[in-house]
Amino acid sequence: MKSLFQTNIRQPLIVLLLIITSALVAKAQDSRLQMGSLDHLAAKANQTVDVSVDERLMRMASKLFNEQDADEREVKKLVAGLKGIYVKSFEFDTSGQYSDSDLETIRTQLRGPGWTRLVNVTSKKDGNLEVYLLFNGDSVAGMAVLHNDEKELTVVNIVGPVNLDKLAQLEGQFGVPELGIEQQKKKNDEK
Amino acid sequence: MRTLLTKIATKIFIAIAVVVLATPAHAKNDDFNSVVKMIEQFYRVKHVGIPFLARAGMKAATTAARIKGGEAKRIAEAGSVKLAVFENQDFAGDFTQFRASLNEALTATWMPLIQTLSSKTDEQTYIFLRSAGEKFNVLVITIEQREATVVQVTLSPKNLALLMKDPEGTGKAITDEATLIDQE
Repeated sequence: MKSLFQTNIRQPLIVLLLIITSALVAKAQDSRLQMGSLDHLAAKANQTVDVSVDERLMRMASKLFNEQDADEREVKKLVAGLKGIYVKSFEFDTSGQYSDSDLETIRTQLRGPGWTRLVNVTSKKDGNLEVYLLFNGDSVAGMAVLHNDEKELTVVNIVGPVNLDKLAQLEGQFGVPELGIEQQKKKNDEK
Repeated sequence: MRTLLTKIATKIFIAIAVVVLATPAHAKNDDFNSVVKMIEQFYRVKHVGIPFLARAGMKAATTAARIKGGEAKRIAEAGSVKLAVFENQDFAGDFTQFRASLNEALTATWMPLIQTLSSKTDEQTYIFLRSAGEKFNVLVITIEQREATVVQVTLSPKNLALLMKDPEGTGKAITDEATLIDQE
């Protein structure tokens, strides 16, 4: 009886644990950053930009865009495989409007499993630029860019397979601001 | 007797099904009006009809284009424009609160594409999208210090590509076009 009870309970319990574990792993590997904690900065910012190109839109775009049309082909190629582009950008009139804890809410997520910092530039003139990649095995599953200076804070999150070349192509499009990734790449290549 | 009861039950069921199925479609179609009402209630303002001068301006522009032998390049699909204009009224209020209410009301059926807020100039722009078969509906809400516009248009995939590439620029062009171009 005991053996039967143990067998009856053990199997569903193992299944449940497997489901919970896989859900946690999936969450840990999810490259979509939670950026809602920055929303309060909109009240202090001179200019706030919030871009959200989600997976539904990406899917619609890749399905309906026509290869024969140059504009549609270009966009289709850029968004191929991507699951989302999210941008939050704040510009302030004066310095000190955002705190380290605001940055920390993003950095904490980027210290999670799979995330690797690829670029870290600190410049008095151009501010700080950090680029992170999320690796899923050997493949890249997402990217995050954190750019801040005294009067500006920008977070770009691209979900899906992406590299610096694609990010450079996305700059100035899809609401992704000019981050100087191309110049940074050239500097790194020259070194 | 039993047959009669079955017939009545079937009719009631069909009536309930029709009401239940029709409600989301109605709500979806009515989002434009809901947004206009939301602005009216939040800012205590009233929208006005399409200004006569704007219609006149559009006709002049179209005529000029025709005289040149060309056609005015349009973003919105013909006949798809819904427009509400608020003129010379005060839009003072907590825009973060308005934004939260707007997002809460629309995100079930619309996808937010870009939202820009400027506390310096008190300007807010919101662009939402949803699919409409082979095309797309776009809702552009622009609120400034003394005026606001709500525009809903249908876009072809080509023009959606332009909107995705340059959301701010194309969104502004949609609003400009809607306020200048007459509905066909």
